[in-house]
Amino acid sequence: MVFSSFIFLFGFLPVVLALYYITPRRFRNLTLFVVDLVFYSWGEPMLVLLMMVSVLINYIAGILLGARRQKKSLSRFIFVTAIILNLGLLGFFKYVGFIGETLQFVLPFLNIPILEVSLPIGISFYTFQTMSYTIDVYRNAVKVQKNFIDFGTYVSLFPQLIAGPIVRYADVAEQLVHRRENLQQFTDGVKLFLIGLAKKVLLANQMGILWDSIRKSGEASGALGAWVGIIAYTFQIYFDFSGYSDMAIGLGKMFGFEFVKNFDYPYISKSITEFWRRWHISLGTWFREYVYIPLGGNRKGLGRQIINMSVVWFLTGLWHGASWNFILWGVYFGILLIIEKTFMLKVLKKLPAIFGHIYALIFIVLGWVLFYFEDMNEMGSFVARLFGADGWMMSSDVTPTVLAYVPLLVIALLVSTPLFTTIYHKIKWQPMQLMIDNVGCVLSLLLCTASLASSSYNPFLYFKF
Amino acid sequence: MKKVFQYLPAFLFCGFIFVMMGLWLVLPKTLYSPQEKRTLAEFPELNGNTLLNGDFQKKLDTYLSDHMPGRNFFVGVNAVYDLASGRNGSKGIYLGEDGYLFPKPAEGGENLLKNAAYIKEFADDSDIPVYMTVIPSSGYVNRDKLPWNHESYRDNEWIGAFCGQLGEKVHFVDVQETFVETAADTQLYYKTDHHWTSRGAFECYQALGKTMGYTPLAESAFEKETVSGFYGTSYAKAALWFLPPDDIELWHNRSQGKDAVKVNIKDGADSKSNNSYFFREQLENDDKYPVFLDGNHSLVRITNEDVPTGTLIVIKDSYAHTIVPFLSQHYHDIIMVDLRYYKKEVSALAAQEKADAILLLYSLDNLAADTNLSYLF
Repeated sequence: MVFSSFIFLFGFLPVVLALYYITPRRFRNLTLFVVDLVFYSWGEPMLVLLMMVSVLINYIAGILLGARRQKKSLSRFIFVTAIILNLGLLGFFKYVGFIGETLQFVLPFLNIPILEVSLPIGISFYTFQTMSYTIDVYRNAVKVQKNFIDFGTYVSLFPQLIAGPIVRYADVAEQLVHRRENLQQFTDGVKLFLIGLAKKVLLANQMGILWDSIRKSGEASGALGAWVGIIAYTFQIYFDFSGYSDMAIGLGKMFGFEFVKNFDYPYISKSITEFWRRWHISLGTWFREYVYIPLGGNRKGLGRQIINMSVVWFLTGLWHGASWNFILWGVYFGILLIIEKTFMLKVLKKLPAIFGHIYALIFIVLGWVLFYFEDMNEMGSFVARLFGADGWMMSSDVTPTVLAYVPLLVIALLVSTPLFTTIYHKIKWQPMQLMIDNVGCVLSLLLCTASLASSSYNPFLYFKF
Repeated sequence: MKKVFQYLPAFLFCGFIFVMMGLWLVLPKTLYSPQEKRTLAEFPELNGNTLLNGDFQKKLDTYLSDHMPGRNFFVGVNAVYDLASGRNGSKGIYLGEDGYLFPKPAEGGENLLKNAAYIKEFADDSDIPVYMTVIPSSGYVNRDKLPWNHESYRDNEWIGAFCGQLGEKVHFVDVQETFVETAADTQLYYKTDHHWTSRGAFECYQALGKTMGYTPLAESAFEKETVSGFYGTSYAKAALWFLPPDDIELWHNRSQGKDAVKVNIKDGADSKSNNSYFFREQLENDDKYPVFLDGNHSLVRITNEDVPTGTLIVIKDSYAHTIVPFLSQHYHDIIMVDLRYYKKEVSALAAQEKADAILLLYSLDNLAADTNLSYLF
């Protein structure tokens, strides 16, 4: 079930809100857990069992680790087993087809059969969540969660279940048991949810239509059209993903949870290093916390740091999808980050800020080319088109489409910057703020409902992962 | 008071989603959407199987969006929003000046040439003279009423390329120039529909006379009856509900004898007949265009007893329904064949009917998309 669907907005959500708030406080997690399972099984009726297996593995691992804390070797054995099981499930369901294909390509004479496994929704997200728990229990950083319902609620919490943010157990352990919902928090949640919904429905979907249309026009788009197209995709993926995160965080607030921020205007970055501090923050945090720092981080000399960064960025790429272009994308950013770490950041600091912005944006946008095209041949010809292989100008067939989207492209550009937020917070007269809040909510509700009613074009990009 | 406004977003949001859900449950469900010309989804089958394979869930979503409360209102809001934010034509229809709606230019250049090859082969083998005309699109003809930003209408290029492939035996009548000239001060196409008006058909009827060898009647020979309140397919697609409707004109030959006209419709095993070109019961529907010859049928025979001789076969799309009443003033029999439904040999039919002429009449958009011309022989 996606958030921007009728069944969610006008079916699931009102029912769940009603059920949740008529449930006595101590049973509220149970209510949430049950509706989470309904939410998940809506799209994947059988695969909900897989998620339950994942919940059980980590729940039991946590209990065992807690009980055997004194015996170092035993608890290491339990820990390693749990991690292998977690990564094994993720590996099998996400990567087995990819590994088969790659092996067959490299060693065709072996005749390795390729298994067709369909990717369970959200497995990359919930596996990382459960692992954060088990790792932190092993490191003695959090207390063991003995209540199965509370633990299950944490893993399967429907707001962030299928597309993040990746909430670390340590961040919500306290809230799971002791949260106090209140009207102010609920109102903030509604506002954030409606902002996210508008980002997704009014911007991301429309940018997607433009990108599809330009891509399909092929050579006719020329270099200019191709740049407009990939910029449209740059906006699409940002508003799609950050819109989804906003909706998730907003929904969390409606049920009394506070999740960490996942996006912080990534396109205003002055370097790639900064971009990755602002883009998909919860994923970056996870890799830093559970891979980069345990590997030694930057404490063992530059050589070791470069190796550590390489590992992290290879894995980051791989996490985004079982295909070589995602690995390429991760490695691409890995290399850029290593270059920045060794000397580029110092150079950028001496230059006026505008150079940093241009440099970062060009490489971010080119990065999305790698991210989008799973087929290397298509990627190659698109890159060639960007640099003039099919002429510089767009043909008269493409121009009207591009012109029609100029107003939305401008809006998307402005919304990608903190401009509106800054203006909003500069308003010292509270009635004005309240009016903006209320008018904004009504407009978002009206236009998003209208857009959904009018279109069946509603694919969530981040379902692939 | 401040407190109320502070928390108002929460109440607005909850109010909206709860009211929508309530209306959904309470409001009666219609099974057919006249705007979309399709039956709406029915409540999906619910059992263990459909629940476990996700079938029920998928279909429930379609069911909900098909029956959402205030659907037309919301679709209309979205259409206005698209227009206001620069995307005129986002639903495939441009809003032009004077309330004109224009379907975007058609695609299918290759298919058009394929169809030309079929028609050439058909005409080369035919002993009966073959005439053809292609009706340009409204956007091409009414170019001065198009919005400033629009895709190019290349009717001229396409019709030219199409003609070039037809060969010598097809007598092609090009109405593009006439249409562009007359469109300046007359309405050749409906504003809310892709079809041409009776006036448009009349202009084409005038132009065909010279080539087909009849002397067309003057405009004064007809009495015009106006029917108002026609909302066409472009209107339904564009969802700009504030636009005014079109008028339909029914042109009656003043000197037509009583009971002279007989229209016989054969559609598979079904058949019906009428003693007028106009099927008035169709005027009760939202889509009133089928008032002309009752819309699309596989085979329709139009007999005019006022005319002593002549048999014409018309191979056509729905644009022909408006012009055939005019042509019928010069042929005792017109047999109208729609290749989308008629799957027998047309050449055999022409021989059997001892036809004097064959006319192929298509709009450019339909001809570019049509893949049934292989049924000509």
